[in-house]
Amino acid sequence: MHENELEKNGEDMKTMLENQDASARTDAGIIVMSMFFAGILVVAFTTNPIASGTKIGERAPIFSGEAYDGSSWKSFEFEDLLDTTWTYNSSDAPWIAVEFLDTDCGYCKQSAPDVGQWAEMYSTEQWIGPDVIFIAVAVEFVAESSRAEIVEFRSQYNNNFLYVDDLDIGIAKDWDVAATPSYFLVQPDGIVAWNSGQATNSLGWDAKEEQSISLNGLDDGYVQLNEAIEQLTLLNGGEE
Amino acid sequence: MNEYAILSIHGAIVAFGVLLMTPLGTNISQLFHERYPSTKTRRGQLLAGLMFVCLGGFTVSAQTLWMHNKLSEGASVCSGNTILNCDGLIGNVAYNTDPLFGQPWGLIGMVAFTALMWLAITIGKEPMSPQTPLFIKAGLGATIAGLPVIGLLVSYEIKEGLICPFCTVAHITNVIALIGFFMLFKLYESDGWSPETKKTLRK
Repeated sequence: MHENELEKNGEDMKTMLENQDASARTDAGIIVMSMFFAGILVVAFTTNPIASGTKIGERAPIFSGEAYDGSSWKSFEFEDLLDTTWTYNSSDAPWIAVEFLDTDCGYCKQSAPDVGQWAEMYSTEQWIGPDVIFIAVAVEFVAESSRAEIVEFRSQYNNNFLYVDDLDIGIAKDWDVAATPSYFLVQPDGIVAWNSGQATNSLGWDAKEEQSISLNGLDDGYVQLNEAIEQLTLLNGGEE
Repeated sequence: MNEYAILSIHGAIVAFGVLLMTPLGTNISQLFHERYPSTKTRRGQLLAGLMFVCLGGFTVSAQTLWMHNKLSEGASVCSGNTILNCDGLIGNVAYNTDPLFGQPWGLIGMVAFTALMWLAITIGKEPMSPQTPLFIKAGLGATIAGLPVIGLLVSYEIKEGLICPFCTVAHITNVIALIGFFMLFKLYESDGWSPETKKTLRK
């Protein structure tokens, strides 16, 4: 009997110690979880993160490389074109049209004169909206290409904007570009306003309301780069 | 506030923890003796130091997560013309998330230091628990597991030719925590863990 009592007391003691251990772990858990959530709340309340990507409303991936300006290949930083302080209608900072093309792609050749024309048109005095800077990113999807081909392509279609060398398709991968030509319209602050390759081609980004809006494809419902430029720049920063 | 002033606050928390872990901790811990009598012992000083180190690691990681989010908004938080530049690393989409889960490194740091702090607090609350050696080894293992991650992040810095001071403080803090858990491990193996109780009785 005496031995049984001792055994029972021993078990009670063991249970008590185990409870104490569990209590210590719980207390420590409450302390650190409170600390963690306090940290997360501070971050959540003081920032408004924007995803990086090429869907409308996302921050366009920045890139750098060598670009041909008509005379030589020079280093190029996409970030240098951005004005991170830009907000809806805050300034006439230039918008950016990015075209991904392959010098061996038939559709790219077909559209090259139009793109060249738009690049001139949206930076002239006659254009009432903010200037649009055109950038061509030359990739190598179809057949082997080279810088010489890029230079020749640019001069053949009298394009006067920068051609960025992306023959290793690093930029195309970051921008989720799988086919050419692909067009993007980027707000001055780096947010993608329109992406020709998105599932619904007629959606654009309204910087004021921070939501997507429908654009009009003037001929066949399919929105072209020039149509996206005219509707979005005038809505989000041009003269009304 | 200047970003380096904020960084020095995180650094001060970590440095205070380091001091508590050194022999100087005996004198410094007198500040806490009345409120926390456990800091009278070497074990208590080590654990208190480790908690401060983990707190510093947590706050600096939270700050890098904050920077990650601010940079995505388009703001510039820590850039310059020198080699010390966080924007070029934390703002670089190719490097600023972990390759496995796609989560920002700052969040990973917050989780890691929270877990380490939980271990330190639990050990501190029940130092004689049979689970204690397991928790010490878990802390040691977790901080050692952090080393290859630090190696990966340093390789990004080398590749970009930039140093992110906030990230570097978090990396150093992990190494300090490793040393702290190792000191705890050695102390547990000795009679110094609980001088009033013979080691043989503990086992």
